[in-house]
Amino acid sequence: MSRFEESAPARGGFSFDLCKRNEMLVQKGLKPSSYLKTGTTIVGLVFQDGVILGADTRATEGPIVADKNCEKIHYMAPNIYCCGAGTAADTEAVTDMVSSQLKLHRFHTGRESRVVTALTLLKSHLFSYQGHVSAALVLGGVDVTGPHLHTIYPHGSTDTLPFATMGSGSLAAMAIFESKYREGLTRDEGVKLVAEAICSGIFNDLGSGSNVDVCVITKGKREYLRNYMLPNPRTYVSEKGYSFSKKTEVLLTKITPLRELVEVIEGGDAMEE
Amino acid sequence: MMKIDFSGLDPYMPVKGNAEDLDDEILAAPSFKLPVTVDFDGFQKAAVQMVKPAKGTTTLAFIFKDGVMVAADSRASMGGYISSQSVKKIIEINPYMLGTMAGGAADCQFWHRNLGIKCRLHELANKRRISVAGASKLLANILYSYRGMGLSVGTMIAGWDENGPGLYYVDSEGGRLKGTRFSVGSGSPYAYGVLDSGYRFDLSVEEAAELARRAIYHATFRDGASGGVASVYHVGPSGWKKLSGDDVGELHYSYYPVEPTAVEQEMADVPIA
Amino acid sequence: MTKQQANWSPYDNNGGTCVAIAGADYCVIAADTRMSTGYSILTRDYSKIIQLADKSVMASSGFQADVRALQKVLAARHLIYQHQHNKQMSCPAMAQLLSNTLYFKRFFPYYAFNVLGGLDSEGKGCVFTYDAVGSYERVGYSAQGSGATLITPFLDNQLKSPSPLLLPAKDAVTPLSEIEAIDLVKTCFASATERDIYTGDKVEMLVLNASGIRREFMELRKD
Repeated sequence: MSRFEESAPARGGFSFDLCKRNEMLVQKGLKPSSYLKTGTTIVGLVFQDGVILGADTRATEGPIVADKNCEKIHYMAPNIYCCGAGTAADTEAVTDMVSSQLKLHRFHTGRESRVVTALTLLKSHLFSYQGHVSAALVLGGVDVTGPHLHTIYPHGSTDTLPFATMGSGSLAAMAIFESKYREGLTRDEGVKLVAEAICSGIFNDLGSGSNVDVCVITKGKREYLRNYMLPNPRTYVSEKGYSFSKKTEVLLTKITPLRELVEVIEGGDAMEE
Repeated sequence: MMKIDFSGLDPYMPVKGNAEDLDDEILAAPSFKLPVTVDFDGFQKAAVQMVKPAKGTTTLAFIFKDGVMVAADSRASMGGYISSQSVKKIIEINPYMLGTMAGGAADCQFWHRNLGIKCRLHELANKRRISVAGASKLLANILYSYRGMGLSVGTMIAGWDENGPGLYYVDSEGGRLKGTRFSVGSGSPYAYGVLDSGYRFDLSVEEAAELARRAIYHATFRDGASGGVASVYHVGPSGWKKLSGDDVGELHYSYYPVEPTAVEQEMADVPIA
Repeated sequence: MTKQQANWSPYDNNGGTCVAIAGADYCVIAADTRMSTGYSILTRDYSKIIQLADKSVMASSGFQADVRALQKVLAARHLIYQHQHNKQMSCPAMAQLLSNTLYFKRFFPYYAFNVLGGLDSEGKGCVFTYDAVGSYERVGYSAQGSGATLITPFLDNQLKSPSPLLLPAKDAVTPLSEIEAIDLVKTCFASATERDIYTGDKVEMLVLNASGIRREFMELRKD
């Protein structure tokens, strides 16, 4: 039985009937609606006893910062996390969907989820949508077979790597990894390197910014270090502050009280005090 | 000996092709630079996008027994964004002539300035002021020579000359109309409505000014792209005079005052049951 | 054969924000020092402000190559003016020169968004704001560039000066003192940097008053 049949009702699911029409409209000059993109720096690396994931916290919409402190490291399973870059809605939806599939699978089998399971679910979903689901992911976790780190591209191709970067800041972050990564890093060294790579993205890539989130996954344990670093405080706050005058005259304050529609009478007698 | 600058006399015809010498740019009489491209129209189309078109305007002018009344709003918008609330859309060409501005702000401003120069030179050469007909024809001829190159001008030339009051409508498509009543811009249908219903030739100056002000006010009330300050000018035998400049927001409350009504019921705390 | 054409644009947008505020006896012109293209920062220390004459200063954002070309043309024109008239150009004169210079490229515009600030012949602060092809007006304050849509509403709220078109006329310069204006400019940039990715690194402020020109810097977020 195909995946669609089991997961979706017969007439449900996504319809791509309008893709051709939309393509034509775009060619005729229609502006496609803008999505919330996480022009992002996300990274991951394998260290001595597990995997460390990192992400910045800026979400942009064109040149405007839409969210200064968003979360880009998504939960997949207790032992697996996933960083997302691309269209915010797509990364969130795809990770949530696979996360629940993993949970069902755990109930079925009674065993801990494996990273490859998550990887296969993600890539087959993305492949079936031919890149229209724009999610670029860094998937990391520790399972019974050890630590794993993968990257997944929007079209469904995957890589298995000791260290990985994704998003618009991937080059800036990779520069740090390529010069400083080595096998057998300790936890502290690993976290420091991940934070440095994310900072490189934050400062050199305009799509990335604000704070550093880190997630350390080891055998049977995970530490989600939200806002591990805050390297971008506001630089100036006026001493006197600013007041915003109301400049509004009160012309009318007529209040029509709501009438009770139902009068509740108990026993027909007035209530005693 | 100092050279006399005759650049004001030049017809400002575009020089096609290699005008890349620095000499040309600085020493010679200024002439328009054109992009070296095979597809001028296509380039023009793209370039027009980045030029702020002051689209969304209401301007009007009419002749009555005591001269010409000219009025305009003051808003400039780019799409939904109001880029200015203080645009001077009535351009003072000389003490006896006014021009109005609708369409491209820079196009109108520049060519009216240019017209001012030409009118002054006409005065010096002929020892008498140029007629409104003549001035408007100068402008119309320039605009016609640039027809199809993307200029966007919709203007009225109003003034007083030897034949009394004069009013012409000139646009970048090459049109030039003589008339007694004009309104130009996105708010013009609304302005025409008020203007046509209230217009008589024998209006007094005060009545005419009030009619013009009201027409602009009603246009700004219904047309989102018009607003700001309603300026009213009068051109009489002794030249133009600015009669009023009123914020249309405040004008609204003077036309439709809101009387503070007696407070019928004060807001009270809901008694706690 | 179908028509082949390179999909190449002669323009780039290098971002940046400029703000100018005019007061009764001073003028503040400020711009950030970040220059960027796409998602990359080209430099964190590029001055967008140029002094064109004794009492006129221009801040420009947009396409750096066009801005530079424009600055050179204006500098040359000003030099010629000095040779011909043996004096510095006044700020309102420079304002019209800038307008004409921009308009002569009407059919191949300079991709430059300028604010010109300075002192007029009475020593009053003046600010002129422009579009890319030379439409201009004298105002009490102005913001241009990538952060303009964030800053302008804030300035409107804080110091909405009476429109210069009103009759009876009211004084159109802002009522702030020099110190208050600088404080406001700093706040504008600190805030715009929070939300505009093309604004940041540092803000450069030039203050013109009777005693001359003063330059100040303040650090901004660098992400």
